[in-house]
Amino acid sequence: MKQASAEFDFDADAPLLDVTDVEVVYETSVGDLTAVDHISFSVDENEIFGLVGESGCGKSTVAQAVLGLLPSNGRVNKGSIKYRGVEMTELEKRELDALRWEHLSLISQGAMNALNPVHRISSQIIEAIQAHRDVPTDEARERAAELFETVGLDPERMDDYPHQFSGGMKQRAYIAMSLALDPDLIIADEPTTALDVIVQDQILKRLKELRDELDISVIIISHDISVIAETCNRLGVMYSGKLMEYGDLRDIFANPYNPYTLGMQNAFPTLRGDQSDLISIPGSPPDIADLPDGCRFLARCPFATEECGQEHPPLQEVAEDHYSACYHHDRIDTMRTEAERRSTWNRVQDDGTAVGVEGADD
Amino acid sequence: MSEETARVGERRHRETKQGWRRFIQNLKRSTIEQGRIFVRSKMAVAGLAIIVFYILMALLAPYIVPYAPYERLYMADGSWASLQPPTAAHPLGTTDSAHDVLSQLLLGSRIAMFVGLLGAFMVAIIGTTFGIVAGYYGGWVDEVIMRVVDVLYGLPFIPFVIVLVTVLGASVWNIILGIALLYWLSTARVIRSEVLTLRERPYVEAAQAAGASDFRIMGVHILPNVIPLSALYAAIAVGYSIVAQASIAFLGFGDPTIPSWGVMLQRAFVTQAFGTAWWWVIPPGLSITLVVTGAYLVGRGYEEVVNPQLQEK
Amino acid sequence: MVLSLFTVITILFFLFRMVPGGPMAAITSPRMNEAARQAVIEDYGLNEPLWKQYLLYMWNVVQLNFGQSFYYGESVRSLVADRFLNTMSLMVTAFLISYTVGTYLGAQLGWIRGTTKERVGMLIVLIIRSTPVFWTGMIVLYLFSFQLDLFPLGGMRGMQATYSTTTQKFLSTDFLYHLALPVFTLCTFYVGLPLLLMRNNLLEVLSEDYIDTARAKGLTDRRILLKHAARNAILPVVTAFAIAIGFAVGGQVLIETVYSWPGLGREMVKASLRSDYPVAQGAFTLLSVIVITMNFVADLMYSYLDPRVRLEGS
Repeated sequence: MKQASAEFDFDADAPLLDVTDVEVVYETSVGDLTAVDHISFSVDENEIFGLVGESGCGKSTVAQAVLGLLPSNGRVNKGSIKYRGVEMTELEKRELDALRWEHLSLISQGAMNALNPVHRISSQIIEAIQAHRDVPTDEARERAAELFETVGLDPERMDDYPHQFSGGMKQRAYIAMSLALDPDLIIADEPTTALDVIVQDQILKRLKELRDELDISVIIISHDISVIAETCNRLGVMYSGKLMEYGDLRDIFANPYNPYTLGMQNAFPTLRGDQSDLISIPGSPPDIADLPDGCRFLARCPFATEECGQEHPPLQEVAEDHYSACYHHDRIDTMRTEAERRSTWNRVQDDGTAVGVEGADD
Repeated sequence: MSEETARVGERRHRETKQGWRRFIQNLKRSTIEQGRIFVRSKMAVAGLAIIVFYILMALLAPYIVPYAPYERLYMADGSWASLQPPTAAHPLGTTDSAHDVLSQLLLGSRIAMFVGLLGAFMVAIIGTTFGIVAGYYGGWVDEVIMRVVDVLYGLPFIPFVIVLVTVLGASVWNIILGIALLYWLSTARVIRSEVLTLRERPYVEAAQAAGASDFRIMGVHILPNVIPLSALYAAIAVGYSIVAQASIAFLGFGDPTIPSWGVMLQRAFVTQAFGTAWWWVIPPGLSITLVVTGAYLVGRGYEEVVNPQLQEK
Repeated sequence: MVLSLFTVITILFFLFRMVPGGPMAAITSPRMNEAARQAVIEDYGLNEPLWKQYLLYMWNVVQLNFGQSFYYGESVRSLVADRFLNTMSLMVTAFLISYTVGTYLGAQLGWIRGTTKERVGMLIVLIIRSTPVFWTGMIVLYLFSFQLDLFPLGGMRGMQATYSTTTQKFLSTDFLYHLALPVFTLCTFYVGLPLLLMRNNLLEVLSEDYIDTARAKGLTDRRILLKHAARNAILPVVTAFAIAIGFAVGGQVLIETVYSWPGLGREMVKASLRSDYPVAQGAFTLLSVIVITMNFVADLMYSYLDPRVRLEGS
């Protein structure tokens, strides 16, 4: 059952995961849709990286692309995805399979359905182990029991079926399974979305502990910025397939440079402890089949000017390990102050016309 | 009438318009669009062509048959023109009783189309009605209907129709009766499932709150939404009905005086002539196959129209 | 299940009273002499009120007493029992083969969705499903028997064959030789349902999250298909089995007629054509019982295969 694991030429100096200029395209009946538009980020050892954005911004697609799990009509059109220097987009399925789970594993959203309902949980964990290592079943079972303990589950219940576990327990079981082969990187796609707040908290805490105990890195993908804020040390803010702001999380939260980030912070409770009113960003993301010229966020940005309508802004370094895509970084102090006021956001019109900032140079 | 009542009445009036108005609106507006989607699928178009062809055959048959179906044909020397292979005079040859196969085939299409369309129609009506009633009312009504369905599933179709025909006589109507009694079961089950979800829709709840009668809700709000599903099952039922009638006729329980494809095959079999007279055996069977395939393709094509996610890239 | 059986038998009771000639004709043969006729009328209580007749009837059924065949003169029970085995040998064989082949092909077709091979495959399946099974039988016989002379023209055994035990009868090469064409034809009739069902289910299953998990684990395609996808997709195929039985029996009746296979179906047809009502009734009852039993078995199998149903209590 063990597959031939290919020998990989890992580069010791390369970052754990290096995503450069990746473009992911879906073929549909209405043409090719670009879900991920030239995204670049990197994750190092012992890091928790967060990818945050509204539904449909492409963050899950990024996860799928990294693991080679895009649906049949999706493909990585451009760019490179390197794991420890090895170019993943050029690997054969056999080689990719060898990398999977051993080095990069996945915790997907909806653990509700991520475990096969007709097989016992233990057998699913053992299957993951034996697919990569020549390990006899009893040894694999021991390992499975170990993993259960690691995530705080009773090893006696290892042989249960998934439907016998509660939502939180299923997610823990899934995490246990993802740790089976001691991966270096775990990609967690909305790991706590379907769980209630208390369980969510426990799971996130555990993930942080695991990072320290086991020396792994995690990419957490979520639309819930509070989840990201709680666990990550670095962050990427995605919008409509593009990366709007990226870098050290604390710096981004303390000194956000991007209007979208400013809007996002408003929409979530007590991120900095001093917001009492939630202000949401009016409007919704652009139709991916009909993208506008210029900055993707143009239609909903209260600070947009004519200049923003030409091309989507490139990522610029605004501080150390802090990048943002906007044409108006020079006005950031004004923008920050204004963003805290509800009236600012009310200026955004539904018809998508750019609303000028008072006193700005046009 | 108080203002309150007037408002409720007006809302009720508006709501009752929704189901059918929407349906008719959709019908008018999107028939062209649906037609376009339908035409995109080559299979669906092929299916439609086949069905149209055979409907035309059924309609025109009495006027274009070269011979009467049971007219005895003679050779030049006065003997029966029995089991003659295809010639110019008889493009499909003759049977053992010296009847023209082509004439029988053409006239047989009438029974096939009749049974197919009528059977499908009844299956759709009965199945949909029971499905809606069971799904909408739930409770003991649902229990009773589903129990009946379960029990009837225990009756094997062809043996049952054989008994029916034995008891009531060998006529097309009795076969249709058998189809009506037993073919609606799957349709009812599927419609019922659909209705169970439809029941929870906001416009249904709104209508209930406004005091619309059950009958009205079922007829006006639920029915238009299950019609596409009924239509699909009806299309499939066309095929099943035709094959059912042909099978019963083949076994010897059909009316031998009416030329049908099943009866043709029965004669071919009983006389053991099918071992050599391929011209007698192939056309009726092929026709049945084609019509059933065509009906299914049309149904499937229609389903794709209604359910865009089924469309191929 | 008991309810179904009970209801079906009751329906039969009323149905057969409606034969031309009334209930009398249902149980007395025109060839009987007056004394025998009176005896039977007494036996069946035809002079008694309806409800008494009904109870008598049920009592008879429970004892598996269906009277005597008008045509053969022997008891219906022994006749039906003999034919039953013949029918089952054909039907079960065909069922097993077609369900195995059908689910396998269905899974394969589902896996290669979107390719030309799949589209062609589906068209072929559709056409086969649209073909009336008795016509297929005739064509097969025409080709392989009449024209190519590879297989016998029908029947269950050759003229010269003799057997001492039933097992010998069913395992002999002569039997298998006669079994080949009817089984082949029946399989074409049966295979469509499991194939399409399996394909549809597989497509649904393939979009489930746990398939993504399996791929993320780096498992081979084959393993994903077999252990994860197919294992889940096959569940509804089992229940559909139950629905299929009702129509499968019809196919059985037709094939037995085409191939002159001495089974329950053929017997029922001949009996009905001959107005041999006791046999017709007995045969139909047994066929119904088979359908109802198979339904029940399918229900059991489903609850065994799906742990979510099986462990409902825990």
